[in-house]
Amino acid sequence: MSQFDRTLEYIDQLQHAGTAAAVCEKLLGITSDFGLTALMAGTVPQPGTPAGQQKQHVLLCDWPVEWLERYVARNYVDHDPVVSHMKQLQAPFQWREAAQGISFDKSSGEVMGDAGAFKLRDGLAFPLITLDGQIVMVSLGGEAVQLSAAEFGLVSLVSTYAVGRAMQIHTMAAKTIDHIELTPRERECLQWAAVGKSEWEISQILGISEHTSEKHLLNAKSKLGAVNRVQAVAEAIRRGYIS
Amino acid sequence: MLFCLTTQELMERPDLWEAVHRLRYQIFVEEMGWEDLRRPDGFEVDQFDHDEAVHQIVIRGNEVAGYQRMLPTTRPHLLTEVLADLSEGTPPSGPNIWELTRYAVAPGFRDGRRGVSTVGTELIAGFVEWGLKRGVDKVIIEFEPMWVLRALQLHFLATPLGYQRTYGNQQVVATLLSFNEHTLDVVRSRRNHHAPVLARGYPDMFGQRRAS
Repeated sequence: MSQFDRTLEYIDQLQHAGTAAAVCEKLLGITSDFGLTALMAGTVPQPGTPAGQQKQHVLLCDWPVEWLERYVARNYVDHDPVVSHMKQLQAPFQWREAAQGISFDKSSGEVMGDAGAFKLRDGLAFPLITLDGQIVMVSLGGEAVQLSAAEFGLVSLVSTYAVGRAMQIHTMAAKTIDHIELTPRERECLQWAAVGKSEWEISQILGISEHTSEKHLLNAKSKLGAVNRVQAVAEAIRRGYIS
Repeated sequence: MLFCLTTQELMERPDLWEAVHRLRYQIFVEEMGWEDLRRPDGFEVDQFDHDEAVHQIVIRGNEVAGYQRMLPTTRPHLLTEVLADLSEGTPPSGPNIWELTRYAVAPGFRDGRRGVSTVGTELIAGFVEWGLKRGVDKVIIEFEPMWVLRALQLHFLATPLGYQRTYGNQQVVATLLSFNEHTLDVVRSRRNHHAPVLARGYPDMFGQRRAS
């Protein structure tokens, strides 16, 4: 089997992974042959994002736990030369290039030195950009990294598909939580509210009591997370529940 | 609105032909630096602007805001002639597979700094709608690797046709994207716009106002 056929097979397996953890495991299974044993992919937090929120940016992670803790606690993301290199939207590169390419401030040296202590001596990293313009950073590292130019191509291609799969899983999960179940009555009341009918008028149209129509609208309002009727109607239209 | 014109139809509208080929020049020669295409007249035209090419044009107001060109894979196209080293082995071809080339959004219509603009997503919705209508369910695209991620976000089924290569300062990877009605739904909901984008006929003459 040629290397490219193998690459296609890896990508196919990644696209069938059902959870972020499965994507992670599959990808590292492929890259560990080249000494890349740790993986981190996520959107870039704005400089100064509180440590507590930094972890929400993670899409895929199999990284030494203590290293991650230290990275977040010491706010290394703002000083990491690999991150600054990536923010210039460079093509895939090896960590050592990032370390060579920039003049170190004291903190940058500390980040790289510290990474080495966690058996992350070298790796490769590259940025991707989502539909809405968010930068996703992908970084793979290990203690003894051995990559030929062709393998470098394989790893970056396969990782791109892994991140794509992770994002699909991420959106699917968000959607299940995001899905709101409106009853037919709630929908009807909103539909009439959208054309300007009062609660009393809606009750007359639907043949229910004014109290009941008020109740339906209140329920719909809270399900949609709206603060008032206008926002509830707007939100219901935006989500396509009414037209 | 997105208009689909054959090369013949495009040539029958000189104002539109000029706007399209000038935009292509501006983006691919001046902005991206594809020097092979440089010409003194400032129009970008190549051997693939043949009678089977389909030109898809997004019009905003009275301007060409976006453009892409579809080429049948049943005859020579970019991946077989110009970018052959992007493909490992023989690239797929057939009446249901077209090649998408010259994807371009005019500078004034790129909303965000890095994201895909509404003109950009209209081009995407446009080729999917166009394809589904005429039995095309796959396109070959040579694009920057970050587009792989975006294609997956839009629920295209993506398969690489080769490894990425560097041309000038650009990374390019040839990819086969398959799509169906579900893809169209996802593209439309990402755009928050569910109406079809394909328009019939010609856009208005440039420099003229609609009569009605």
